[in-house]
Amino acid sequence: MIVSKKKKIEELSPYIDQYNSYFLIGCSECASLCGTGDEEAILELKEWLEKEGKNVTGWFIAKTGCQILGTKREMSKFKELIDKSDCILVLSCGAGTQTIMEFFEDKPIIPVNDTLFIGNMRRFKEFEERCRACGECFLAITGVCVVTLCPKNMLNGPCGGYKDGRCEVNLHKKCVWIIAFNILEKRGDIDRFYESLLGPKDWSKANSPRDYVAKEKIN
Amino acid sequence: MTLLRTKLLNDDFVITVEITPPKGPDVTSMLDRLEELKYLTDAVNFTDNPSARMRLCSMAACKLALEMDFEPVLQMTCRDRNRIAIQSDLLGAHALGIRNLLVMTGDHPMWGDHKESKPVYDIDSSIMIKLVKNLNEGKDLHGNSLLGKTDFFIGAVVNPNAEPILPQLKRFEQKLKLGADFFQTQMIFEIDNLKRFMDFANKFDRVKVIVGLIIIRTKKMLNYIAEKIPGVIVPRWLIDKVSRLNDDDIERFGIDFASEITMEIMENKLANGVHIMAISKVDEVKKFLNCIKIRV
Repeated sequence: MIVSKKKKIEELSPYIDQYNSYFLIGCSECASLCGTGDEEAILELKEWLEKEGKNVTGWFIAKTGCQILGTKREMSKFKELIDKSDCILVLSCGAGTQTIMEFFEDKPIIPVNDTLFIGNMRRFKEFEERCRACGECFLAITGVCVVTLCPKNMLNGPCGGYKDGRCEVNLHKKCVWIIAFNILEKRGDIDRFYESLLGPKDWSKANSPRDYVAKEKIN
Repeated sequence: MTLLRTKLLNDDFVITVEITPPKGPDVTSMLDRLEELKYLTDAVNFTDNPSARMRLCSMAACKLALEMDFEPVLQMTCRDRNRIAIQSDLLGAHALGIRNLLVMTGDHPMWGDHKESKPVYDIDSSIMIKLVKNLNEGKDLHGNSLLGKTDFFIGAVVNPNAEPILPQLKRFEQKLKLGADFFQTQMIFEIDNLKRFMDFANKFDRVKVIVGLIIIRTKKMLNYIAEKIPGVIVPRWLIDKVSRLNDDDIERFGIDFASEITMEIMENKLANGVHIMAISKVDEVKKFLNCIKIRV
């Protein structure tokens, strides 16, 4: 899922202080699981704004904020309330925020969250980055994503910086190449892996902006 | 052919030192230090923004050293340049007369003084060796023809202290097979770690290894290295020993300690040379050389 984090009030204030009426939009997908776009998050923000003497004209939670036409349809029901608002506060990821922006170029659309990464949830509201959507998946080879989990994107084994198997950049974490090496070892694939060189990686597949039309079929 | 290459191929013992270019445009003290180092070492390595702290570039320092008749080793990391910049800089370095390289992945920016910078790491150090090998064959990383060929002597790094060691040894083997001409190790404190690595390295033909060493000067320096230098493990007994010495004795101990390791390497033909890292005064290099009786 897309992991998002609530901006701190002092980070949000400069963008919203000048307005008096707000319409709030959440998202029932990733942002709800992160607790940044669900009903609780919306009501918390609404309560704070009202305590500050501001007017919240209304709110709704989009089913899937990044689904452009579906969200537009849901939003049409709130047109009158939105028209009456000085601005819209969006409680989703950056993709969802830009869905809303597409329909209101003349109205300030303000993200309430910062979008962090594609995350796996280990425990409730505890997220880890495992995949950075680089466009060229090597997991069949390395078992764990060395492109994402190695801070130096090493493709051919660890650098020389690990200590007792721990990463030079974060000593609390195991070097991902030690994990990958163990996987290769258990599978009896070490020699095969080192018969060739992995990379140079085609980073053009990770260059933004990307788009994709899923009309190709896997045969 | 560079002197370093000739000596290593002839199995002559080599002594190299590391100079860190200045943090700023004033190169006076670096040039003074080089002047003092003249005729003392076989080559001088110029580091590439070590510990990710921004400094004058290695290439310019190498060029200044060449003008003083030194044999420079250009250190280049994968941290700050993509494959285009690496190749372009290497072609430029070659045009300036630089022939010896030491390529490595490079310390992460989180260790440095520009922590907010974007790490590049477009390629890793194994791919960088392939890249230089290609330049030497007159083609770029992606096989496009070049106008001319480079003649680089390719150095790579290895960390014999690494635990677990096997992943490190496999990378060493990979770098060797990709075309590394020589290896420089991370700084060594225990000869057994070096022996463990050399037992593996000697399975391959013509492996040339220069062993990284430091001359311990102060307790603070040793503690800094133990805590802050990635991949370096300073043994507890050494920290305890140094902590019991007074300042004058530490200086003497530092020179003796580096000399003893060097003598053991020379006497047992464990490796092809030593590389003194993180030097502060040239005087300590002179004392060290005096101890091992290679030069006065």
